[in-house]
Amino acid sequence: MTAAPVPARLRAPGFAARLRSEARVVGELGRRSVRQAFRRPQFLAPIIIFPTLFLAVNTGGAGRAVDLPQFPEVHGFLDFQLAGAMLQSTMLAGVSAAIALALDIEIGFIDRLFAAPIARASFVLGRLAATAVMGAISALWFLSVGLVFGAHIEGGVAGALVVIALVVLNATAFGTLGAALALKAKSASTAQGIFPLVFVILFLSSAFFPENLLLEPARTIAEWNPLSLIADGLRDPIISDLSLRPTLEALGGIAIVAGIGTALSVWGLRSRIQNA
Amino acid sequence: MSAMTGIAYDARTTWSLMRRGINEIARVPGAAIPGVLAPSIFMCGLTAVFGNLTNLPGFTTDEYINFILPVGFLQGAAFTGAATGVNLARDIELGWFDRLLASPAPRGVLLAGTVLSASLRVLMPVTLLMMVGLALGVSFPGVDGLLLALFLAACFAAVAACYGVIIAMRFKTQAAAPLMQAGVFMAVLFTTSYAPQALLTGWLHDVAKYNPVTQILEAVRQGFVGDVTWADTWPGLLALAGLAAVFVSLALRSLRRSGQ
Amino acid sequence: MAGIDLEVSEGEIYAFLGPNGAGKTTTVRMLVTLLAPTGGSATVAGFDVERDAPSVRRAIGVALQEAALDPLMTGRELMHLQSTLHGLPGDEATRRGGELLTRVGLADAADRRVGTYSGGMRRRLDLATALVHDPKVLFLDEPTTGLDPVSRIAIWDEVRRLNEEGTTVFLTTQYLEEADQLADRVGIIDEGKMAAEGTPAALKAQIGRSHLEIVIAEGGSEAAEVVMARFGDPMPSKNGVLMVALEHGASDVAPVVRALDDAGLCVESLNLVQPTLDDVFVEKTGRHLEGADEEQPRPSDLPADEPVSA
Repeated sequence: MTAAPVPARLRAPGFAARLRSEARVVGELGRRSVRQAFRRPQFLAPIIIFPTLFLAVNTGGAGRAVDLPQFPEVHGFLDFQLAGAMLQSTMLAGVSAAIALALDIEIGFIDRLFAAPIARASFVLGRLAATAVMGAISALWFLSVGLVFGAHIEGGVAGALVVIALVVLNATAFGTLGAALALKAKSASTAQGIFPLVFVILFLSSAFFPENLLLEPARTIAEWNPLSLIADGLRDPIISDLSLRPTLEALGGIAIVAGIGTALSVWGLRSRIQNA
Repeated sequence: MSAMTGIAYDARTTWSLMRRGINEIARVPGAAIPGVLAPSIFMCGLTAVFGNLTNLPGFTTDEYINFILPVGFLQGAAFTGAATGVNLARDIELGWFDRLLASPAPRGVLLAGTVLSASLRVLMPVTLLMMVGLALGVSFPGVDGLLLALFLAACFAAVAACYGVIIAMRFKTQAAAPLMQAGVFMAVLFTTSYAPQALLTGWLHDVAKYNPVTQILEAVRQGFVGDVTWADTWPGLLALAGLAAVFVSLALRSLRRSGQ
Repeated sequence: MAGIDLEVSEGEIYAFLGPNGAGKTTTVRMLVTLLAPTGGSATVAGFDVERDAPSVRRAIGVALQEAALDPLMTGRELMHLQSTLHGLPGDEATRRGGELLTRVGLADAADRRVGTYSGGMRRRLDLATALVHDPKVLFLDEPTTGLDPVSRIAIWDEVRRLNEEGTTVFLTTQYLEEADQLADRVGIIDEGKMAAEGTPAALKAQIGRSHLEIVIAEGGSEAAEVVMARFGDPMPSKNGVLMVALEHGASDVAPVVRALDDAGLCVESLNLVQPTLDDVFVEKTGRHLEGADEEQPRPSDLPADEPVSA
């Protein structure tokens, strides 16, 4: 090859330009994912409808639990339940994201992205951006539903903001787990089989009932389950004044989930690039 | 032509359709497993989480698992019925159902064959439920209680399957699956599923009182909680008969309409 | 893949012709950096596909198969996404998308979901997405498989237009007509190896020359044979069908017909038998190209039964 100068439009753009371009790509992919969720109702249903139904039944069915002596001080059982509903919603959002990602891989859409001059990770980051948005929607939904049906947010506006922030972070963390699942599972129906697992893990935590009132062996498992930390952190600003410790513990739980999810995603991305 | 009509033909066709419905489990085991496991998972989970509700004054039993297991019976029936609807939707998408519709089989036979397979398949989740429940110490409901529960579950599965058929015929796509599942999920849970009527709060208190499935649930619950008596059984049977009348006729109508 | 050596010059159209499973798609995926080569090396547009993959991606346009389209997106949304993937900022992306949609004739369908598009429309959209950044090299994997003849010809026209504008085109196909019509050079691939390479004409010439089969109205056969012998080597006739192996191939047909007409001879039927790339394939591999002649438009066919009146 002669040393002809590379034409301007083929030269790699500078770092700042690349970063801007990459950010646009992530935004565009995120927008696409959110649009997808609304265009495919069976993806939206698990994020909003199922958890709301479950919330309604739990509150109506077990509502008298507040009369139990060891039950913590709450304004109402609904106030207690909101955290569990939000946690469930974000976890299911993560599984939905996994299914959508797996579908993208199945139909070959991923080839379009990998043949383009973008960072490989943007594929996953775009999906995470969308999951974060779904988390925000979910948090706003459940807080509104709660308020409409008589719950009080004891932590006030600040408390509500903390809850929303935690839910968004949590959704993103479960998004990374979902991405890891999709990259490994390769087929959408495998990813779909994970739904029941979500319920199991939530039952083994303080998502729906106070930890001290669970029956064994669920109680012991819940004590070690990072999801309990997250649930308690989401619940605290609703049932009492904002305090630092539960929030930090929730962030810790989220970090654990995000850490596992990110590690598995990176591993999954690497092997996918090699075996493409 | 005589081979195409008559009771023998109806029975044979019904049976072969039922057999096909049951074989699907062998062919697509992955799809069946969640439905079989779900009620048992729910039972264990709800017991572990809400078990201490039995400490509330007015609760009808000391062991929550006795209270919850009957819900599992109906849930198993509900999910089996919904799965039948999803399978039908898939058959419609693949065009296989058009072949059945074009055959001389009467619509009633088609419905019976499709729906009764659900009644048989409900045995799977229910058996697992009983095994897990007995292992965890649930009180045995007595032979009469168990048989009654099985009978009610099988009938409820057929009703749920009719609902699935109606949705499948209306939307003709597997994407309607969440609608089928949510519908039966609500029907079973919006009852005295978590607690006795007196201890329900808010809107659920009212809905459960008027939900016919509550009567069916209470009938199934006999033996697990309390004794089996006629007084507690007949409301359940009546509710079941009423639901069957409604859903079977609606399902038949949707099958007949599709030919036009 | 057993081992392929090939070189494509700038500005040419190169076709990779072979049956299903021959290794065409695998080769393309390696060249567009979606697959790492197991051995050897490749440079595209001057950049190494392994060491310089991002540069390769900036220089190429890829239309792999319609499966890489998301059925839930509209055509416009997909174009916008592709433009963003190639670094175009928002408003430029919108403009470019609209431009290309018009170019491939999808402006009216732009706001409908891709899931509602016909096969031909999807292929055109796929082609449009490959063009957003004015690539130097365009890779098309089986661009007209499964399309009706009208859509097929539309795609061919677009590919020729792009090539005239300076784009190098590398396409894979299982249709010998496509390779014959479009390509400057053809590489025939079978079972992971290159079986033959060259221009379509040169490849076919390796096999032999085309011959003309003519039936003349009663009485004129000997005179016709003399006329025909001026245009090539006479071949033994069969059942009253006169044959001559044409010196200059198809371009001799009109002169032969005119000469026969001038001699007052009435042609009852005429058939031009050309060696095809399938013949080349059979010669090199001992097998026919699968599906080579099914459902294809044959614009090169002469209206065989048109009688030429004396």
